[in-house]
This record gives sequence, structure tokens and C-alpha cells, in this order.
Amino acid sequence: MKPLSLVAFLFVMLWGATSAAQESPFFVTYTHHLEEPGNLELETSSTTGIPRNGQRFYFAPYTEFEYGVTASWTTELYLESQSAWGDSTVFTGWRLENRFRPLKREHWINPVLYLEYESVSEASRIQKEIEGGGPDLTSRNALLTSEHAHELEGKLILSSNYHDWNISENFIITKNFSESEGVEFGYSFGAARPLARLASGGNCRFCKENFSVGAEMYGGLGSTLDFTAHHTAHYIAPVISWAVGENSTLRFSPGFGLTNESNPVLLRFGYSYEIQGFGSRVSRLLGRRP
Amino acid sequence: MKLCRFKGIVVLGLLAAFLHAENPGYQPDPSWRAPSEAASRPNPLASRPETAAGGRKLFIRNCVECHGKNGSGMEKKHSADLQLQIVQQQSDGELFWKITNGNLHRGMPSFSKLPELQRWQIVLYLRTLTSSK
Repeated sequence: MKPLSLVAFLFVMLWGATSAAQESPFFVTYTHHLEEPGNLELETSSTTGIPRNGQRFYFAPYTEFEYGVTASWTTELYLESQSAWGDSTVFTGWRLENRFRPLKREHWINPVLYLEYESVSEASRIQKEIEGGGPDLTSRNALLTSEHAHELEGKLILSSNYHDWNISENFIITKNFSESEGVEFGYSFGAARPLARLASGGNCRFCKENFSVGAEMYGGLGSTLDFTAHHTAHYIAPVISWAVGENSTLRFSPGFGLTNESNPVLLRFGYSYEIQGFGSRVSRLLGRRP
Repeated sequence: MKLCRFKGIVVLGLLAAFLHAENPGYQPDPSWRAPSEAASRPNPLASRPETAAGGRKLFIRNCVECHGKNGSGMEKKHSADLQLQIVQQQSDGELFWKITNGNLHRGMPSFSKLPELQRWQIVLYLRTLTSSK
């Protein structure tokens, strides 16, 4: 990136706008908060794996388009890739997910139904969720990309707000239709809260209300062939988000592997930008009533 | 001369867009009512009117897209004109409950992702929206 472009990028990020969006700081755990109808959120994130013996350092970026179809239905498209040290850079596939809120009102526990189709290779390392034993962290990309998976994934998302904390639990079930490896299971839990309860009247960039902090834990639970928490990947990860502008949020999470099947450290970065009223603008462009 | 005509067209266009943006004929959803316990909750920030400034910021961030900058609603989005008496006569607790729960099947999202006090700040700001209606 040229110095001038970098300066312009930082200017837009830090000085473009000063009020802030309120996004969940989690990378893996979903809450019951959906995208507002008609809004499009663009997000670019990455998962970086620090290796242990026999593993390779890797960098797995992904781009996400999240759209609020209605107040109770959000849809997302993911495009993902991966680059491994001393190996190659490969496009690892795409995912299309949908989240539905079946209940009309807020409750003590708010369920959300999640359904996703994945067309990804075994080289996928973004680890948006971990199911089964976790990804293969030792084989070479040439071998892994030849194994393509068509998967259907479901999640039961349970989420509660309690004294400004959000506490969420996700239960994951995945079926790979390309191989007979049974049905795989996974989980994630998270708790997070904003640093400030009141919004200040003025515009501020570094004030507490723009930050949310918390922690999440996620991992695989084997499959119907071998339902177990042993020999699977598990992580615990503090999370922090910073609303840097009216529509943009930065997120960071260092995850710490709890088993030998995990990376010792998993670093996640994310930047999201929300386009408000995207659906209405497209409708107007096409001459339709929004 | 041409410039004046162009400016006139632009002003008329903006005026038409502004009038179109309002929703003075808004009719509330009769089934969207807060339980009496929720409706009777007082605003804990009622004695701190200075916090309405933060409510204004939150309103601009979260509500303007559908309700417009002055809260007069948008006919095309069926969003409420928040200046109308039918809205303003509702209790603080009722408005808080509606912001918290949304009306998902009518397009109003839930804003429970905001901390509770910030939702009360929005209620406080809503009370400052006035009109001659």
C-alpha cells in the first residue's frame, strides 16, 4: 500500500466519523442480535495460526457480506482463502448462512436458528466454528485442496442479555455430504459487555462507550462415530471490539489452544463497515418501491 | 435564468422528498403493546435531562434510517411518526419496551443490543421531538 493511500485509509478509519456502531466483539459465537433490515455489513477478517511442532504457520483471511433481509432474518455470504508458510496460497471456498429469530419478543433466553451451506476444501482454516476434531493443521495444501466438502451446518443459538452482559451459547451440528464421517458436533460460548453504560453527548473516539470486551470459548466435540472432547481442538479467547467510526468496527481476539490438536495461539483480526439503508438504495436504483 | 430554474426544481424536488419522507398518517399496530408492568416502569434518567444529548446521538445512529432526522417517520417504510401525539402520549416504559423488543414482523428491529441505560437515553430524547401536529 502506498504511503498516501495508507494515510487516507487511516484518515477514513479514525477521523471520518466519530459516533459509533455497536457490534458484537465475538468472532465465533453468535448472539440473537441480527442485522437491521436493509443494512449491509461488509467485513474482512483473518485467522492467523501460530504453529506448534509439526504444524505450519498460516494466515486465513475471509470476507463476509451480511444483509438484514427482515428484522428476524439475516443472510451472509463468506469467501475464504488460506496461505501457509512454506506451502501455497489457495482459495478455500464459500459459505452461505441464514439466521432466523422465531420469537417475536425478547425473553430470558432468545433462540436463533442457524442454517449454513458450505462449499469448502479441507484446507479451510478460518475456523468460524470448530466441529468434529478441528481442521487438519499438518497436511500440505496440495493434498487438502483436493478434498472438497459440501456441508450442511445447523446451529442452535441461545442468547441472553443480563445487566448489559450478553451471554450466548451455540450448539453446532454438521453433516459433510462428500464423505461418510458421520455427523460432527461443536460448541461455542461467550460473554461480553460494553465498557460504558451511558452514551456521552459529544463525539468521541476513544471513550469507553465505543469499546466492548469479553471472552469466548469454542471447540469440537467429535462426531457420531466418536463423540468426545478429547483429541479435538479447543480454544479460549478474550475479545475486544472498538467502534472506530459511525459505521465501522475493529475487533481483535487472541485465542489460546487448550489441547494438542489446537494451535497454541490463534490471532483474529476483523474490520467491518455497515452500509445503512443498502436495500432501499438498491431498490431506488432499480426503480422499485423499497 | 436557467440556473434559477434549475435551483427551483432542486428546491421543489427536495421539498417533495421531505414531504414524502414523513408519515403523518401512521397508525400503530394494535397488537404491539407493552405488558402493564413494563409500561409502568419509570425512566431512571428522568432526573438527568442532560443525558438526552447522548440519546440524540444514539437516535441518529440507530433510528434515523427509518424514522428520519426529526423523527417524523417515513411513509414508504411504514415507520412511526414519533412526533405524533399517539406516540408521545405513551409512557416512558412503553417506549422503552418497544425499543427493546422491536416489532419484528412489522420491520422494527429489537435494539436490546444497546445497554439498558442507553435505551432510556433514547426515550429521553424522544420526548424532545416536538411538532405542531
